[in-house]
Amino acid sequence: MERMNGEPKALRNVLYWGLPVLAIGLIAIGWIAFSGSNPDLMPSPAAVWSRFIKTFTKPIAKTTLIGHAWASLKRVLLALMAAWAFGISFGILIGWNKKARAFFGSIFEVIRPIPPIAWIPIIIMWFGIGEFPKILLVFIGTFVPLVINTSTGIEMVDRINIQVGQIFGGNSSQILKDIVIPTALPSIFAGIRTSVSSGWTTVLAAEMLGANAGLGSLVTRGWQGSDLSLVMVAVITIAVIGALLSVILQKLEKVVCPWNH
Amino acid sequence: MPTEDNRPIKVEVKNLTKRFGDLLVLDHMSFNIRKGEFVCVVGPTGCGKSTFLNCLTRIHMPSEGDLYIDGVPADPKKHNISFVFQEPSALPWLTVADNIAYGLKIKRLPKEETEQRVNQILDLMGLQEFRNAYPGELSVSAEQRIIIGRSFAMKPDLLLMDEPYGQMDVKMRFYLEDEVIRLWKELGSTVIFITHNIEEAVYLAEKVLILTNKPAKIKEEIVIDLPRPRDITDSRFIAYRNDITDKIKWW
Ligand SMILES: Nc1ncnc2c1ncn2[C@@H]1O[C@H](COP(=O)(O)OP(=O)(O)OP(=O)(O)O)[C@@H](O)[C@H]1O
Ligand SMILES: [Mg+2]
Repeated sequence: MERMNGEPKALRNVLYWGLPVLAIGLIAIGWIAFSGSNPDLMPSPAAVWSRFIKTFTKPIAKTTLIGHAWASLKRVLLALMAAWAFGISFGILIGWNKKARAFFGSIFEVIRPIPPIAWIPIIIMWFGIGEFPKILLVFIGTFVPLVINTSTGIEMVDRINIQVGQIFGGNSSQILKDIVIPTALPSIFAGIRTSVSSGWTTVLAAEMLGANAGLGSLVTRGWQGSDLSLVMVAVITIAVIGALLSVILQKLEKVVCPWNH
Repeated sequence: MPTEDNRPIKVEVKNLTKRFGDLLVLDHMSFNIRKGEFVCVVGPTGCGKSTFLNCLTRIHMPSEGDLYIDGVPADPKKHNISFVFQEPSALPWLTVADNIAYGLKIKRLPKEETEQRVNQILDLMGLQEFRNAYPGELSVSAEQRIIIGRSFAMKPDLLLMDEPYGQMDVKMRFYLEDEVIRLWKELGSTVIFITHNIEEAVYLAEKVLILTNKPAKIKEEIVIDLPRPRDITDSRFIAYRNDITDKIKWW
């Protein structure tokens, strides 16, 4: 039941639509004011807009902005698919099987606190700067949150729900499939959400260190060529795609876990 | 006098003892329940009623003693048992209809049969309009009806219910009391029904088991020799009720 807090509904709606718009408006005004007084530190919105148009008329490294965005997205998606498959299975394994947890848990605890970016030097030394090492790096960065969220979700399963499965004669694979995994789904989904945002961050970091396509490479290129407008174009594209991914995931979660609202 | 009961034994309990660590909860309980019998179990709060039922289904392993269903150790995969837990136990990620179908799917009943039983139960429990809702969206009483429906749908040989109607208002309780009797008569199931409510026990049971305070022993078995449908205002009914109430109070 909805808690009444005295504000009429219409006013609340206006407020909760209005406040985000207000926040974005303030950022825009701040940007205009700041770039007006410090043109060398920050290009104006108009300059960024014209730089944005130019990424299509005059492609960078023979690739338009769309191509660069797609290059980054493709890396993330490939890595994510691998990480979902392995991370979720591994999380289920160590969440459900005590022996597996005892064995892998300790290794995992050691690897877990290493930030994905710290792997960059090792990975570059081992695999160079091609496509595979970038995907591998994103895989490492996304695997960890998936395993943690999945195994925590599995461990949290309610005793009584498992008992329901046992009483109705379910064997242990039925109990895992029908009871334990559904219980863990919201938490697995939280892991997926974290993996997407952490994957997106990691791919950009990897690209900044060496790539001839991808939004991260645009940031580096703009930075090294003192083309701040290009940096801004890349950064805003990164933000927009990140936001879109998170909206898509929210919608998907309502489809996958409809009871969880 | 009740006539000699020579139905075969369904549940045999010999010296059942259960400890949780140092806490002795069930103390050498022995009794039999016959096939098709309707038994109510009453006793003081916290005396070990739920523990007893949980040992029967092997949710808890007995510390000592033997427990047989149809002459073999209880096994939900072999016996057609249904259980209504004392705590809410609907599966939150399944819709009302899927919750009711849950046990039937594990037993791999044909689809049409499952469909038909689920529909019948939804009508019986007054849940038809909520069939696609999730348990979390419903009231406590409606959630409890899902669980009762889920157990009825199994058409169990052995129906175990742990204070199933505790959350119900009087009208719903009377209705569901008659329904469990109908199911019991129709299927010839054996029913073990735990309740706090003595009137409910006298209304339902062929035999009432009174447990002592913790550690629980069987204090007495009382055969309720009243015709059905029973009348709760009948003087013999009231006499049974008062007698049992006194026996629980004066341990
Ligand atoms: N899993 C457990 N671990 C430890 N102690 C337990 C456990 N389950 C029950 N107990 C204890 O056993 C005793 C009996 O509990 P039980 O739930 O069987 O009583 P009950 O008769 O069903 O009570 P109620 O009338 O409240 O339903 C209580 O003292 C309880 O604290
Ligand atoms: Mg109890």
